[in-house]
Amino acid sequence: MTATKRITIKATRFDPDKDEKPRLQTYEIPFSDDSMVVLDALNYIKGHVDGSLSYRWSCRMGICGSCGMMVDGVPKLTCNAFLRDHWPRPITVEPLNNFPVIRDLVIDMDDFMHKLKAIKPWVIRKQPVPLGGGAFVQTTAQIDEFRQFSQCINCMLCYAACPVYGLNNEFLGPAAIALARRYNVDSRDEGLGQRLPVLADAEGVWECSFVGECSVVCPKGVDPAKAIQQTKLDTTMRFVLPFGNRD
Amino acid sequence: MPRGWWTRRSNYFWYIVREFTSLPLALWLLWFLLEIRRAQDGPSGYHPHSSLGFVIFSVIVLLFALYHSVTFLSLAGAILHFNVADRPIPSQLIVLSQFAAWAAASVVVGFVLIYFAR
Repeated sequence: MTATKRITIKATRFDPDKDEKPRLQTYEIPFSDDSMVVLDALNYIKGHVDGSLSYRWSCRMGICGSCGMMVDGVPKLTCNAFLRDHWPRPITVEPLNNFPVIRDLVIDMDDFMHKLKAIKPWVIRKQPVPLGGGAFVQTTAQIDEFRQFSQCINCMLCYAACPVYGLNNEFLGPAAIALARRYNVDSRDEGLGQRLPVLADAEGVWECSFVGECSVVCPKGVDPAKAIQQTKLDTTMRFVLPFGNRD
Repeated sequence: MPRGWWTRRSNYFWYIVREFTSLPLALWLLWFLLEIRRAQDGPSGYHPHSSLGFVIFSVIVLLFALYHSVTFLSLAGAILHFNVADRPIPSQLIVLSQFAAWAAASVVVGFVLIYFAR
């Protein structure tokens, strides 16, 4: 019988009511299965070692976007970060960069929620279509225009990776702009004119200097950097084209 | 953000290098504008700046310019989006076309400079 391997997890602990600043707490846990991910390790700690550790999670399969954290300094979904890729080295788990911390590994996402609402992430029609008006028909090519951007799960990894947002949190940010583009290029949508004032604002797409790290860390292949650059091109073309091309 | 944020990941570092290359490039172009102004007195009164220090500076700036241009053009595939017959043109093809245009423009500029300098 072989002895179970063990792995060291260093997790951020922070209670704003008691602590002046965050600190790392070390836990040593069994690494019993090569399919274990960082989220499994946190769940083991919470269930068997220290029930006071706070973090968000839900689906465990890279769909809900809840379990994003800094794993050894890189923003990752902890349900998709395997312990085997780090063992035997210790793993440091911290809350996502660039966000206020509510407690331990839990970040405050309110800022993003306000920005998401500002870009109106829903299909906008100039004239409402009655329920009995029939289905919107789209070709495969029309769906392909926005499919990639619609994969965003609001996990906030892109915001944690973005130094522009880290330096100026007024910046609209990668996910919000990618989601705005998802609707702007949807053939059913007519809301570009309503989103443009937010997107073309000084804190909108033009704040981005194309670091590109948002697209590197995105777990769903959304490529927010591409969405931002293409929106820059769109806003420029609308500025130089005749008035008839603006709505 | 900590002051040394750009040293934490290689992508951040190379991004800062890409942005920094604009600075020496701008300085060299300022000098170039001054040279054009000096050249307006005609060929007899014009003596180009050719000290060893300046040649070394120019070579370094050339390397910076090449790095900036290559990284900029490589990103074109993410920026430009064209459809032909309802199908998007592959980003690699867009990048290739940018490099081809760059090479063609360099040949034209080089030809004009060399031809008219004779």
